[in-house]
Amino acid sequence: MGLVAALILWPAATALAQQPVQTIKFEQLQEIRQSPHDTLYVVNFWATWCKPCIKEMPYFEAANQQYKDQPVRVILVSMDAVQDLEKRVVPFVQKRNLKSRLLLLDEPDGNTWIDKIEPKWSGAIPATMLFNNKRKQYEFVERELTQEELEKLIQQYKP
Amino acid sequence: MKKRKTPFLYLACFLLMGVLLAAVPADPGYQVGDAARDFKLKNVDGKMVSMSDFQDAKGFIVTFTCNTCPYSVAYEDRIIALHNKYAPQGYPVIAINPNDVQASPEDSFGHMQQRAKEKKFPFPYLLDETQEITKAYGATRTPHLYVVQKQPDGQYKVAYIGTIDDSSREPEKVQKKYAEAALDELVAGKAVSQPNTKAIGCTIKWREA
Repeated sequence: MGLVAALILWPAATALAQQPVQTIKFEQLQEIRQSPHDTLYVVNFWATWCKPCIKEMPYFEAANQQYKDQPVRVILVSMDAVQDLEKRVVPFVQKRNLKSRLLLLDEPDGNTWIDKIEPKWSGAIPATMLFNNKRKQYEFVERELTQEELEKLIQQYKP
Repeated sequence: MKKRKTPFLYLACFLLMGVLLAAVPADPGYQVGDAARDFKLKNVDGKMVSMSDFQDAKGFIVTFTCNTCPYSVAYEDRIIALHNKYAPQGYPVIAINPNDVQASPEDSFGHMQQRAKEKKFPFPYLLDETQEITKAYGATRTPHLYVVQKQPDGQYKVAYIGTIDDSSREPEKVQKKYAEAALDELVAGKAVSQPNTKAIGCTIKWREA
């Protein structure tokens, strides 16, 4: 009986434990960027191979947890190649038990989309954008953030 | 009349100072069309290298790259191929490692020597220990290319800033060879039609202030 319950609950429990990684194209990223809600979006661009990104990731995870009942959405957008999704990104997400919303942007040619999302961005990661379109608020940071800096930015903009 | 002008002059001076002070920290480095400075940096063979050492060159493919960034590693063979194709046409590669060794220990001079040997780099691989050149150029990621063209007056004019091609991860899927297109135009004496391109790359590891 206990085994049956465990077998039934096990997939649900693992699904709850961490977020799946959704592969998106640029249009879907642009939709998020243009989201009209009165919500602060915190969009962090990272990759499994990017050391400073991994260093700052716990701060984003903590913010996701801290503001989960408020109109603050943390989204982690992986720049890993889509070919590395199962081999690298999913194991990384499982190992760290990431809870924030996870996307993988499948657009290998940065030159076609970086300027469209942020002309000031040179393409280096980590990079983070915060926006609330309803309040016409926007901030872009092309460097690693400290936990204090991230907290300050969220406090400054959260509705 | 003369006396009344003085406060305005003071005000103008204050405003000008404000503008100058505000402009200093945000220096983004070179834009296409700017004159790039020469450098004198240590190569993996221990010798100092400057652009002015290459009397016959028509320009250079100044490539900020390193040992550790997976994008740099993915592009190593293509940087070698760029050099082998364009050095005979007057545009050799000069690779510069911009990363601070404290922040990225595997980008040390010793590791650079080892990597250059393993890959048999046919071009200089220099260490920008003070990061002065990296900052002057405005490089932010690896790999980050600056193609400069030697002018009749001896200046090095920036003709192209950007990436190598449109497929870092899969060389066999390259459709657009951005750097080669720019170099072909320069070699043919034409203006570069796409002088700025962007790619995702590893952030340069800056020395802690």
